[in-house]
Amino acid sequence: MPIVTVTLFTPLLGALLVLSGGLHSARRAHGIGIATTAVTLLGALAMWARGVGPSGFSQVEQFAWIPSIGAAYRVGVDGISLPLVLLTALLFLLAAVYSARIRERAPAYVILMLLLETASIGTFTALDGLLFYVFFEVSLVSMYFMIAGWGHEDRQRAALMFFLYTLLGSLPLLLAILGLYLGSSPHTFDMRVWIAHPPLSGTAATLALIAMLVTFAVKIPIFPVHTWLPAAHVEAPTAGSVILAGVMLKFGTYGLVRFALQMTPEAFRAAGVVILILGVVSALYGAFAALAQTDLKRLVAYTSVNHMGYVVVAVAVAALASGPAVRALALDGAVLQMVSHGLVTGALFLLVGMIQDRAHTRETAAFGGLLQVVPGLGWAFVLAAFASLGLPGLAHFPAEFQIFLATLRVSPPAVVVVIGIVVTAALYLRAIGRTFFGELPARWAAMADLNLREWLAVAPLLVLTVVVGVAPFWVLDVIHTTTAWLHL
Amino acid sequence: MAHDLLLLVPEIAVLLTAVVVLVCEMLRRPRAALSVTVAGLALAALSAIPLLGVESTAFSGTFRVDALSTWACLILLPATALSALLARAELAGEEGEGTVYSLLCFTALGALILAGSGDLMLLVLGVLLSSLGSFALVAHRDDDRATEAAMKYFVFGSVSGGVMIFGVSYWVGATGSTLLAALGGVTGAPPAAALGLVAVVVGLGYKAAVVPFHFWAPDAYDGAPVSVAGFLSVVPKIGAILALAQVVRDLPVGLGWPLVIAAISVLTMTYGNLAALVQRNVVRLLAYSSVAQSGYFLLGVAATGGPLARPSLVVFATAYAAMNLGAFAVVLRTGRDLDAFTGLGRSRPATGAAMVIFLLSLVGIPPLAGFAGKFLLFGAALASHLLWLAIAAILNSVLSLAVYLRIVVPMYRTPDSAPTGRAPNPLASGVWGIALAVTVGLGAAVQLILGRVGP
Repeated sequence: MPIVTVTLFTPLLGALLVLSGGLHSARRAHGIGIATTAVTLLGALAMWARGVGPSGFSQVEQFAWIPSIGAAYRVGVDGISLPLVLLTALLFLLAAVYSARIRERAPAYVILMLLLETASIGTFTALDGLLFYVFFEVSLVSMYFMIAGWGHEDRQRAALMFFLYTLLGSLPLLLAILGLYLGSSPHTFDMRVWIAHPPLSGTAATLALIAMLVTFAVKIPIFPVHTWLPAAHVEAPTAGSVILAGVMLKFGTYGLVRFALQMTPEAFRAAGVVILILGVVSALYGAFAALAQTDLKRLVAYTSVNHMGYVVVAVAVAALASGPAVRALALDGAVLQMVSHGLVTGALFLLVGMIQDRAHTRETAAFGGLLQVVPGLGWAFVLAAFASLGLPGLAHFPAEFQIFLATLRVSPPAVVVVIGIVVTAALYLRAIGRTFFGELPARWAAMADLNLREWLAVAPLLVLTVVVGVAPFWVLDVIHTTTAWLHL
Repeated sequence: MAHDLLLLVPEIAVLLTAVVVLVCEMLRRPRAALSVTVAGLALAALSAIPLLGVESTAFSGTFRVDALSTWACLILLPATALSALLARAELAGEEGEGTVYSLLCFTALGALILAGSGDLMLLVLGVLLSSLGSFALVAHRDDDRATEAAMKYFVFGSVSGGVMIFGVSYWVGATGSTLLAALGGVTGAPPAAALGLVAVVVGLGYKAAVVPFHFWAPDAYDGAPVSVAGFLSVVPKIGAILALAQVVRDLPVGLGWPLVIAAISVLTMTYGNLAALVQRNVVRLLAYSSVAQSGYFLLGVAATGGPLARPSLVVFATAYAAMNLGAFAVVLRTGRDLDAFTGLGRSRPATGAAMVIFLLSLVGIPPLAGFAGKFLLFGAALASHLLWLAIAAILNSVLSLAVYLRIVVPMYRTPDSAPTGRAPNPLASGVWGIALAVTVGLGAAVQLILGRVGP
């Protein structure tokens, strides 16, 4: 049974099912949405159970699409993409559960979310350059309509900025993909061929790398092309933020590894120091910018810039590493960091959204002592915030530890990036102190604690944050299967 | 002789259709005229299918039967039939309805001759034939606006037509032949060669509405019935672009034509998108957008000779015909003013979703048809080492997104008043339904075209 294909297109089928039922019943739409994302998660778990082999891609499924130009439908996974597929399927299910409160044009919302899920899983599983680009762009359109249709006050402007910015960012990738295609002989869009025998060299490879870096830097996002992110997050609906931060930012780092590192390795190595500096600056900038925020959602958004900066550092270190052991260490850290960030930031955005649903504001100054009235929400936030600042025993710690260790071995000066940890620790403690401790303003005295739907949405993420923090090996084993064998 | 006629069956069928339609109109039977138009064009398109894969010429090399001219039949004839259906939805019962169908057929015939021309005289004939029909179509409504638009169009057309005839005479003088295949010989006389190139670019550029010969387009489209505007933005334009590809195929590269075409391409798409950005009238907006789309087409012309040039032109032409006609069909139903689109997505979700898909396809968002075409065009430009041209096209794609979102964004606002557009018309809905199917399906089915175009 072609499990990858089934998992990939189940959400699309669900979207068609919602569409066929007309655009009126919100209950029916949410029911189909939750059921479909649950089936998709089962599919992803089945993929996980099948596992990956030591070299190359596993569970490959393919058939001819446009043989005249060597493009085909090719999907499969390796140790880098499989954890991301599982993360995607989980986050979409939780987002669907959380979104069940949306009544306004619910069927259209569910259709867009399911379309986005197919696009996201497709981006991580595509093994054909053209197919990858198609999924990569479709995700953009769905997210645009989600922000524009269900966002907050200034949503039109934020959605427009998001769309223009990321379209401008992603089109250079199209050129790079065409360059790789024209450089391969015989011409093909098969990513496995591009990885096994990098088709470009010299100036062409450098140009392709620059094009890819533009695309992925916008998507990750790296300072200074990160400005769309806070705007989009602040205006996006909560589930949109969860998907945007938890899944779509990973397109950037995944692409950085899959395309830039694996398909133009020589050029990447030559530019390694530049990319390393970009990563360090981005991580530090994200941390300090977050320190200056008083809006909880903006704060979490900027810590994403910080965390994704560590991933960039890790990928650059992997390129600069001389031995396979250190390279594997850096890449293990990079991929685990992506997974951890998805879990932790997903939880944080959900919790901030829950605070906003109750208070209709996200300004830390407006709060205080919330722990007295909403202990469940409060302690959940504290746990997620501690995970985000890298506390040992929680999900970010094993990832960041490996990243810093590899950095120390390859490029000791770059370890200055750990300052970011101190800054995030300070800003989270301050935010927790202002929001959940101190004196309780009278107007929040009647605030309700988390209900069942909200617990269902956020609890799995918190549990997994602890599980990955305490026992990261069950994810790392899968990642390491591939990174240990990676040829560069 | 008989063999030559066999190769021209589609064109002859279109000509006969046009004549029979005219007879129907004389008998005051507009419904019959429409049926004959659609049936005749469908038959003509079907008769082109056996020609797929034929690479030949007819009548001593003056008409080329190749991938471009055959696919022109397969794309432009259905597009003309759809335009006729749109015209019926818009003009039913008006005076001279049947004449419109007949003129559509004549103009389409001109476009087909352009797409297959292998001779300079045929090129001129194609331009004149499609222009004469177009002038009359624009003037159909017989009010001040239509008359002014047709007048502008006509004056512009006669001047550029004159320039073209004057200029190509230099080529004839330099090579001693009117055949395009003989153009390899123009290198002996550089000034004559350059003058001829300028003349052809003026003449065909006017038909294809490329900058700086586009000034007639917004006025003509806005003065004409919406269905005619849709037709003009698709059929004569594609004919002229393919004609340009036929001309440059035999021109020596030493003449520098790829650079000329590439420069015009950048100018056209940039100006078209910038001008579209400030329009309040959707027909004018789409007119400028179709100017910009001509610029993308020119990528494929500039790359002529490269491996992806022909497939990219054919695929983009198919995509463009579908998405542009679809967009005009929605405009026909909704209204010319941008304000008429406010709330369309909420009051009529299906029409709204279709319009969004047409516009995103015009931007080139995958997996829609416009993406398939643009992707191949970019590939053709890269394969011909025109990286800068591809980058310019990419920047323009982003700019064009801002253009088309100007229609999309108000569509999902809450309408200020009840929807004002015309009542649903099954013909117009049918047309955008067909266009939608092609726009959505082409990306997945592009092999159907690529497998039959050849390099």
